[in-house]
Amino acid sequence: MAAKSTPRPLPGQHQLPREFIAQHQRARIINALALEVSEKGYRAVTVADIVKRAGIARNTFYENFGSKEDCFLAAQQFAMSAALGRVVEAAGEIDNWPYRVEAGLAAFLGFVAEEPALARTCMVDALAAAPTSVRYYEESLQAFVSLFRLGRDVSPHGQELPDTLEEALIGGVFWILYQRLLLEEPETIGELLPELVEFALTPYLGAEAARAVALEGDGAPPAATSRG
Amino acid sequence: MSDPVNPSVDSPEYPPELARLPPGRHGLPREFVAHNQRERLIAGLAEAVAENGYAGTTIAHITRHAAVSRRTFYEHFNSKDECFVAAYDTVMTELRERVDQAFNEEDEWPQAIRAGLAAMLEFLTAEPHLARLSMVEALVAGPVVVERYDAAIQSLVPYFEAGRKGRSAEVLAGLSPSTEEALIGGMVSLISRRIFADRTEELESLLPDLVEFTLTPYLGSAEAAKVARAA
Repeated sequence: MAAKSTPRPLPGQHQLPREFIAQHQRARIINALALEVSEKGYRAVTVADIVKRAGIARNTFYENFGSKEDCFLAAQQFAMSAALGRVVEAAGEIDNWPYRVEAGLAAFLGFVAEEPALARTCMVDALAAAPTSVRYYEESLQAFVSLFRLGRDVSPHGQELPDTLEEALIGGVFWILYQRLLLEEPETIGELLPELVEFALTPYLGAEAARAVALEGDGAPPAATSRG
Repeated sequence: MSDPVNPSVDSPEYPPELARLPPGRHGLPREFVAHNQRERLIAGLAEAVAENGYAGTTIAHITRHAAVSRRTFYEHFNSKDECFVAAYDTVMTELRERVDQAFNEEDEWPQAIRAGLAAMLEFLTAEPHLARLSMVEALVAGPVVVERYDAAIQSLVPYFEAGRKGRSAEVLAGLSPSTEEALIGGMVSLISRRIFADRTEELESLLPDLVEFTLTPYLGSAEAAKVARAA
């Protein structure tokens, strides 16, 4: 799109459609909120902080959002749907479950690496923001639960696995990602893929088979040969 | 034994059942009164937070629950945040002592993990206000407390790392450097999400699942399930 390379127009001089500007402003505000929250924690962030970081007028904030909470919920929903969209796109086509999990995790890690602050809002900060954000957090977690739970069908002891296994695995994955985000080196997030794949698959397949999938490491099922 | 004028950190009811000194003259040494006031303020904060949430708690709420003056509050703490940090540390110290004791009473590592987890769940179930303070409100309180929260979780790593000792090369090859952190992260998530949802009373029923989940990478599924389901 041409708009991308156009220098930012002076107020009142731009030719861009109103819709586009509105979308763009919303995204800027959401990003500013995510950055502020990851630095200061939700409670300490003010609308003034967000406005300043986004480089917009206070009025513009209130044209888009009713409150800080409203803005946070929008950021969380945006992040959740972006992350899940990627996971579904990457994992949806793969029939072989272990590779499906690997592809889904790889896509999720890609999102976290590109949008660390937004990823934090839905993995961590959501729990400290508002009752509604806690509810959204639960919903996003359940989406991942359903992907993992399919592993019970391919596991030799799928019927005996504890009920809460999937929730615990996802909690563990989120925790590892959060710890890595604290180091402020989002570009290294992708390195975690093999160990997270192994962690997630071990309860279903056993450590050895889980490691075999993790070490192939390209997120794709092997062509025709079986894994043995 | 809880002596009403000599609250001990070792008392099984500590800190929620902190002894309350009657306001006014009691002829106790200054040092002791100061210490007691601090503990009362901490207990007051825990009660106020349970009632109003951390964000909704004011210093007035805390001093009312503690039955001390605002001035006394400021003799001990500069802010609500500082008082919260003290309360958080008190709860975690207590929790840690119970886990340690239970863990150390067992000779075998898998049973020690089971005992430590059981002690933790028992404490959190018995003290729903403190459970909420340490697992939910700590996240709301802001970066200083969140740092302590993260450190408290990371400090559980050695209990699980001990499970690597004596395992076969094959098992060790299946453990990555972050295995312990991932297991603990998963465990904490299971626990804290129930506290968030006001389902603290369900925590003790999580014991078998948590034991199986955390032991599986070290013992394999079958053996982990056996320890988990042992009465």
